Amino acid sequence: MDERRTGWVLIIVLVIQLVVLAVQGARTGDTWMEAVWLRAVGPAGRLVTAIPRGASGARESLRLRSSLQEENLRLRREVEQLRLRLLQLSDLENDMRRLGAAVEYTTPPLGRIRAVDVVYIDHASWLRSLLIYTGDLHARVDQPVLSASGLVGRVVTVAGSYAKVQLITDRAASVGSMILRNRRQGVVRGGGKGGVGLALDYVPRQADVREGDRLLTAGIDGVYPRGIPVGTVLKVGRGGQLFYEISVAPAVDFGALDQVYLLDHTPIPREVREAVPGDRP
Amino acid sequence: MTALKLLAALAAAVLVHLALMQIWPDLARMVDVFLVLVVLQGLGGNSLASLFVGLLVGLTHDSLTGNAFGLFGFADTIVGYGAARLAQRLVIQRPTGVLAVVGFASVLQEAVVVAVMVMLLPDPELPTPLAVALRAGLSGTIGMVVYVAGSRWRRGSETRRRNRMSRLRLG
Repeated sequence: MDERRTGWVLIIVLVIQLVVLAVQGARTGDTWMEAVWLRAVGPAGRLVTAIPRGASGARESLRLRSSLQEENLRLRREVEQLRLRLLQLSDLENDMRRLGAAVEYTTPPLGRIRAVDVVYIDHASWLRSLLIYTGDLHARVDQPVLSASGLVGRVVTVAGSYAKVQLITDRAASVGSMILRNRRQGVVRGGGKGGVGLALDYVPRQADVREGDRLLTAGIDGVYPRGIPVGTVLKVGRGGQLFYEISVAPAVDFGALDQVYLLDHTPIPREVREAVPGDRP
Repeated sequence: MTALKLLAALAAAVLVHLALMQIWPDLARMVDVFLVLVVLQGLGGNSLASLFVGLLVGLTHDSLTGNAFGLFGFADTIVGYGAARLAQRLVIQRPTGVLAVVGFASVLQEAVVVAVMVMLLPDPELPTPLAVALRAGLSGTIGMVVYVAGSRWRRGSETRRRNRMSRLRLG
């Protein structure tokens, strides 16, 4: 093919790509093209993560062999304490349910959690996404992802046994949150200080916000249920005339994730979430 | 055969990228092995093939990042085509020439990615000039090393083949 025709092919390919990019906008949905690529690349990621994990696991088991008995005793004691605590909490839960029933208040079910392996973390673009291997039980788009210390993000693309998770530190991510101390609500957005932190937006200047305040999900965004730790307020700036400028440190250390939990939580249906007041059904 | 070689090179690039992410994430952020692959393929001078190789490699890179899917696909298509057109006009044989071409390609890729992000995304994240320069230098160095290693391996296998042939003739 002569260079003139190749030039035309280049232009056509570029225009098609630009159209696809424009339609897609700021990565918000599940694109089939990305899913196809994820299916192909996912196993390679799993292979690469499995090698160092296996090696460090073997090293760890050799190192720990001597202290296993001691560890076992300590864990047994801890299990006993946790059982006691669970009993107390079950009592409290029952009380809460009884009181709730008395005033006809029903709490939304929190759902079950399932542990899945992290295959790959995107360090190249400041920790914005990660790839997980979910096995035979596939993930669902918009499914919340947690770690032991707090909220990680939500599933944005599913490709068979693999899924891509948008971290809450992504600049396009936002989480409806509340301050634990006074239940004041705001929106936590990714890409705060240095691109890896978070920012709490839409908190009015009249509100009482202090450094060290803990933030939880508020359950108002239709994706995340209420009560999952999101982060801690680092700095409260003056911001604009209406709102504070608040920096937040995430509750999760995204650089040290090797396993996360998928929450089987039923999200609010998209049509309900996006319905405008006054719309006819 | 060429397609198989290309797929093997792409698989190797994916593995190297993922391994770097595990072992040395800071370096992985600075080195773009996918770009090196696109440019080295482009230096063959076949602009049509380089264009599609750029697209394939770029989309693979996209699937491993949190960026909008297709951003690197778009940029690497241009880079692959550009490298091939350059190779048609210039004879690049010295390793330092490869360093310069890969370094320049890295800057071009960043420029295209930034331009597309500014056009399409509401609040794009722009790289600092220092990060762009570091990325260009490191990717260029990696490109040069891969080019030199590849040339040596090709020369070595050619010599071995010739020796085998001469022994056959003597026998």
